[in-house]
This record gives sequence, structure tokens and C-alpha cells, in this order.
Amino acid sequence: MVRFFSTKISIAVFAFPALIAFTVFVIYPLIPEVVISFQKHNGFRSDGFVGLANYYEVLSSKSFGKSGLNTLIVVLMSTVLALPLSLALALLLGSQGQGTRRLFKAFGMFPAILSVTVIAQMWLAIYEPEWGLLNSVFKAIGLEDWGREWLTDRGTVIYSIAVAFLWQYIGLNTLLFYTGLKSIPQTYYEAALIDGAGPVKSAIRITIPLMQDVIKFVLVISILGSMGMFAHVEVMTRGGPGYWSRTIVYELYYRAFMSSDFGAGSAVAVLFVIGCLVVTLLLNRFVARERLEF
Amino acid sequence: MRRKIYRRTIQLFLIATGLTFIFPLYWMLNLSFKSKEEVYDNAFGLPRNWFFENYENTLKSYHFFVYFKNSLIYTAGTLLLVILCGSMLAYCLARMNWRFAGAALSYISLGLVIPVQVVMIPLFMMTMSLKLQNTYPGLIIPMFSFGLSACVLMLYAFFRSLPRELEEAACIDGCNVYQSYFRIILPIVKPALATQCVLVFMNVWNEFPLSYILVTKESYRPLTVGLANFFLQIGVTDWGLIGAAMIMTSLPTIIVYLLGSEKIEHALTAGAILK
Repeated sequence: MVRFFSTKISIAVFAFPALIAFTVFVIYPLIPEVVISFQKHNGFRSDGFVGLANYYEVLSSKSFGKSGLNTLIVVLMSTVLALPLSLALALLLGSQGQGTRRLFKAFGMFPAILSVTVIAQMWLAIYEPEWGLLNSVFKAIGLEDWGREWLTDRGTVIYSIAVAFLWQYIGLNTLLFYTGLKSIPQTYYEAALIDGAGPVKSAIRITIPLMQDVIKFVLVISILGSMGMFAHVEVMTRGGPGYWSRTIVYELYYRAFMSSDFGAGSAVAVLFVIGCLVVTLLLNRFVARERLEF
Repeated sequence: MRRKIYRRTIQLFLIATGLTFIFPLYWMLNLSFKSKEEVYDNAFGLPRNWFFENYENTLKSYHFFVYFKNSLIYTAGTLLLVILCGSMLAYCLARMNWRFAGAALSYISLGLVIPVQVVMIPLFMMTMSLKLQNTYPGLIIPMFSFGLSACVLMLYAFFRSLPRELEEAACIDGCNVYQSYFRIILPIVKPALATQCVLVFMNVWNEFPLSYILVTKESYRPLTVGLANFFLQIGVTDWGLIGAAMIMTSLPTIIVYLLGSEKIEHALTAGAILK
């Protein structure tokens, strides 16, 4: 039967529209990108090949180094701070009754459904130096010296943007973890209780190991997501002060679309693709997903 | 007794944390009813004079309805194409007898590794030379292409789990492959399609980088980009207007969320269990 349905024509009709679109708009653009990265190009017209000059210029520029470091900071903050926080919230949520869970779910999902522009602008108000939420809170509890101009201070700017970025997905990640937690059969906990394990011990010894599928999934999406951070930077600081809050993607955007140097922009993009591939390979190597069966 | 106190403390902590997720939104709502001056000396209290003019004044320079219409068109177009073409490809890979099905599946998975930001530059130049810049298809087609991978991979898993007898029965009853697909198979995977619809909707409605780069004309901007430009235009002095624009922009999403929060939650967490 299947054979009867699978004529050449029907396969073409089913498979080709998607495959063609995917090839033309996702895979093919990588080719002109690599080509342009070896050219002097202003977006409309090429001034010929310049060899590795774009790469040399990008790699030796301070702004690229800074943007790489900033991207690394965001990725590290998402894995070392935001992820364990979501996990802890999910574990706490597991011990609670229906009402609290419902409430937390409804609230926690909220930031994730709002548009990035709204979130970024909200955080501009929070970081506002004169009447913003953060400095007002510090003032109210008598820690006025802690207040500062979060988004124009070179030392704090990237951390401030990263917090805004990560905050948006903490609730959602908590829910992802919670979903994973709920799929663990109750019998394991009963056994642990009989063996005299308390709630902390059973969380460390049972829940977290059995949740590794979900943990890996969230790890992968948050690393790849934070590598591509762009909108928050554009709305909150436009990369400023100077180039101090640029991320790799912002650097790419700035070079191509703000200073009309598509060659250098493409060189950044090619370096970024290589970075993405390396990270994906490393993740696949070290956090390979063997499915757990209960 | 001690256990109970622990539980209470955790409960309070969680509720407090939950509140921090919606407090900024409440604050924006609050700001949107304050005049430019009042924001500075009464940032958190309820407005002393309710300043409804903010909404009126915002609408003068913030073309909300234009952006809203554009967002609807972009989202609907992308959604339709992703679901139709994505499900068909997934079906072909999962259930048709095609020599290259395995290769095509790996090929389409590449899309998960290539973030859209990477190819912003060539996409910009391609849409320009194809004369697609500042047209609806000019944004819909790239967004559709980038939405395919996730959709195909998820639906592939669903189609695999269906019994073979479905097509056999359809065939015996005289259906051709298209009838069997659209009349029998698709209705069966409706729940998975609904999940995909929610995911694609969320992604496209809130999409930023691609729309920001590819759409340069005011009258074709979607909400996210229109809002960002409105903020750039008025600067950070009049927070009453900013608040009003934010509330207006978020309202449609919030309404959708309130209507289908359970579906949305299910869709957003589905990926974690399935993948």
C-alpha cells in the first residue's frame, strides 16, 4: 500500500516545497556569506577579493574581542546562574500543592510570551538611575551606595543586559524542569522514604539524576539561545557605552548594517557559525542524550 | 509541625518569586496612566491624576494598528506555510518509501544548528536582489524556512507512531495519497499540529532580528520592530507614553494567553519531553 502511495510524483509534492525553501533560505545563504567574507563589500557592490584582510581586521579589533567575551559572559551566566536557579525553583515547586503550582505557572510563563522589545524596555525602566526600580529598592533599604547607572557603567552593562535576557526565560525553564520532574514515578520516592532519605537527599540522589534528559535539553537550548542575544542589546544600549555591551551577533549587525562593511560583517558571521558548530559538537559529545526509560 | 512551617516558607517564597515575574508589567500599566512629570516624583504609587491622554498621544506617533495588521499577516502566512509544508515533509520522511528519507531528515536537522542571525547579511542581500524587500513574502518566506526544522522533527516523531493500517484502509476505500493525507492522517495528528501552531505563533509574533533587518519601510513593520522604533524616536523621557505603547502591544498576546494558557503551557513544555 505504502509503495502504491509512494510514487515519484507524490514524493516530490510532499517533500520538495519544504526542502527547496529550506535549501534556498537556510543553507544556500552560507555560500555567499563565505564568499563575501573574503571581499570588500558595502552591501550593494563588491570591490573585489581582499583575501583574509577582513578576518585579520575583525580578529585584531578590540570590539570583536569584547563582543566575544560578552557573549561568553552571557552563556556562562545562563548555565551557571539561571539554569540552577530554575532547577531549584522546580524542585521547590514539586513539594507544593495544586494552588501554588498553578499560580507560579501562570506568572512564570508571562515574561516568555511577551515580546523581547517590551521586556527590554521594561528593564530600561528598572535600571533607570533616578527613579528606576533597582536603585529605588537600594535606596529604600539604606544601600544607596550600591545604586549606579547600570547601563552606562562599563563594568555593569553586560551583566545588566544579561539579567534582563535571562529573567525572561527563568519561569519557562522552571516549567520545563517541573514537567520533567513530574514524569518520575512516585515509587522511587516511596522506596527512598523507607530507606530514610530526607527531601534534600532524595532530590540530589533521585530527582536530579532522573531528570537528566530535561536538564540536557534546557542546557542546549539556553546555550544556543544566549549565544544569539541581539534584540535586548539593540533596545537597551545599542551596544554602548562605546562597544562595551556588544555581543557577537551585535558586532555582526553593527559592522554590516551600521558601518556598511558587509565583508567584515560576514567574517564575523562565519566565525560565529564555526563557534556554533563547535559548541554543538561539544554538547553532543559531552551531554549525549541516552533516553531514560522508567 | 516543623515540616509545615518549611512548606509555608517555601510557598511564600515561590509566590513572591512568581510575583516578580508580573510586577514589571503591573508597573508599566501604572506608568501608562501618569503624566511625564509625575513619573519622576511618584514612580511606584498609584497615579495621583489618571492621565488617559497617554494612550491618545501614543497612537498619534505609534502606528499600532498598522503594525498589528502587519504582525497578523506575517504570523498567519508563516504559520500556514510551516504547518502545511512542514507536516507534508515530515509525513513523507516518516511514512513514504523514499530512498533519501534518512538523508533528508539529517539535512533538515541542520536547521537547528544554524541560528537565523548568522545569515542576516546574505538574506538581506537576497531579498534585495529578488525585489522582495518591504513586501510581505519577503519576511514570510525566510521565517517559514527557518521555522521548518523544529516543526518537521517534532511531527516526524508523531507520524512514526501511527499504525500502518491507516493508509491501507484509505487505499482500499479508494483514496489517493492526497485524500488519505488530508482527510485521514492530518485530522488524527491534530493535537500535535495545535502544539506546533502555538510554538510557531509565539516565535513569529515575537520575532525580532530578521524583521528588524529585512523590513526597512515603516508601513511593513511588525509590532516588535515598530515598538522598538517608537522607543528610539521618543527617547527615554516620557515614560507615560512608553508604558502606554507597551501595554497596547502586549494586550493581544496577553488575551491569547489568558484564553489558552493551558494549551500554550503544554506546547512550550512539549519539546522537553519529546526530544
